[in-house]
Amino acid sequence: MRDIAIIFKREFQSYFFSPIAYVFSIIFIFLNTSIYMFHFFLLRNADMRSFFSTLPLVLGVIFIPAISMRLWSEEKKLGTIELILTLPTKTEHIVLGKYLAGYAFYLIALAGTLTIPIILVILGKPDFGPMMGGYLGAILLGGFFMSIGIFISSFFSDQIVSLIITSLVCGFLTLIGWQYVPMLIDGWIPGLGTFLDKYIGVSRHFNDIERGVLDIKSIIYFLSFTILFLFLNVKILERRKY
Amino acid sequence: MIEFNNISKNYGLTKALTDVSFSVKKGEIIGFVGPNGAGKTTAMKIITTYTAPSAGTATVGKYDVQKNPLEVRNLIGYLPESVPLYDEMLVSEYLEFIGNARHLNGKLKKRFDWVVQACGLETMLNRKIGFLSKGFRQRTCLAQALIHDPEVLILDEPTSGLDPIQIISIRNMIKELAHEKTIILSTHILPEVSNISDRILVINKGKLVADGTFQELIQQVSKHSSIYLAVKTSKKDFENGIRNIPEIKDITFDHATKRGVTGAHLYYSGKIDMIKKLNEIIQNYKWEVIEFHPEKLSLENTFIRLTQSHEPEKQAETGGKKL
Repeated sequence: MRDIAIIFKREFQSYFFSPIAYVFSIIFIFLNTSIYMFHFFLLRNADMRSFFSTLPLVLGVIFIPAISMRLWSEEKKLGTIELILTLPTKTEHIVLGKYLAGYAFYLIALAGTLTIPIILVILGKPDFGPMMGGYLGAILLGGFFMSIGIFISSFFSDQIVSLIITSLVCGFLTLIGWQYVPMLIDGWIPGLGTFLDKYIGVSRHFNDIERGVLDIKSIIYFLSFTILFLFLNVKILERRKY
Repeated sequence: MIEFNNISKNYGLTKALTDVSFSVKKGEIIGFVGPNGAGKTTAMKIITTYTAPSAGTATVGKYDVQKNPLEVRNLIGYLPESVPLYDEMLVSEYLEFIGNARHLNGKLKKRFDWVVQACGLETMLNRKIGFLSKGFRQRTCLAQALIHDPEVLILDEPTSGLDPIQIISIRNMIKELAHEKTIILSTHILPEVSNISDRILVINKGKLVADGTFQELIQQVSKHSSIYLAVKTSKKDFENGIRNIPEIKDITFDHATKRGVTGAHLYYSGKIDMIKKLNEIIQNYKWEVIEFHPEKLSLENTFIRLTQSHEPEKQAETGGKKL
């Protein structure tokens, strides 16, 4: 536990020296709140549905890849991976420390959007269930995407390549369950769209939680895939094929 | 302290190390010598547990590098060739991070103070690593390798890119640590190894081609003694004459001779009076001698003869032992 905390502290502090992380945090908060405000003034509803409907795409395609890309790629580029992997620290502790640092940074950025529910409480009487469900979904979804991001970054020393690949993978996982996309895929290959949406895509599970339906299956989906990618990350590093 | 048993390492189809075996006793300083790309760094990475070997076993202390990597890492301090550091951190923050990660706990303050003083970092503690000069980066990286007082030090090109004063300072530091710790240092700066090391391992194209003290290596190479001869004649005539002495194994022509003069380093083996034999040839062919003397192999020549040999297996015999 102490080893995880040591790695976490170093990694988390380094985010505050990274201008890219700041820039993307601002873009994340600005993009989400501006998309939301557009719908808010148009529809005049005191809920956050429109905010959470675009969140998976913004998270998966832009924000999480931008903050996860450095986790291993930078260590590889600087060569510091050679020192960190020869410390007397278990690989799983290093992976967890780094993962939690990226995740904590995401949670801070997510906390930056709490201004929206505060405004809603001041201006109207919002239903707290879906709002809390939406934030819980965002917490779980962010954790899942972050585990994909850290896993992918362990393959590349170029941060931009890590960003693009993570963006493609997370974008794919989001889009296969996005609105009419499953039906479109079913039209090409019958049954494939429904299968991908039901078992692999994130949208269905996120939407369930976001609506306030706390289905244990969705929670298990997010947690199990998060653990799987962290486990794979440890295994990739332990192959020690450098 | 360190055992390397039939280690091979492949990167795809490239063989970085082939069946390398050696052992290092406690307190020994070993110089790892070889041209760039010979496999020195790969061997060091295997000892530090960073890279897994494709075949063979390696142990540090009594621990296997693959089965007990954490125990091995506790014993080792490692200075990689690229001097990798986190540029955004202060020197003090970085050393504290490494000290904590190496579980120094209550000893951290004492070890921190020692390492800062030993590496001459007192004035740099509050400076960002990214703003340090090459010399101070090297010292900071050396400090992280020493902070936990490791039994084994692995130093990959510790003086590369430093100015002469910095080289002397790092070299003195290694000398101070000598015999207290087991040290493996790789370099292609030859005076460095002959000055510091108890033993030299010469590695070339992934194979260990020699293992011995500096004197032993010179003796090994000197089995193929060398004479320099420059005479006024054509190259063809020179070759015809030399061909009469079968003991001459190799000829390296000197291209810096004057026009009409042919000069060459003549390498021969066996205990024969080569000067007498050459004198006979010179008289028979009526050559006018410009230069004629036996050669003492320099450090650089020893290195070149060891690493450029086409028959490494034959040269691998040192002090009566076969590698």
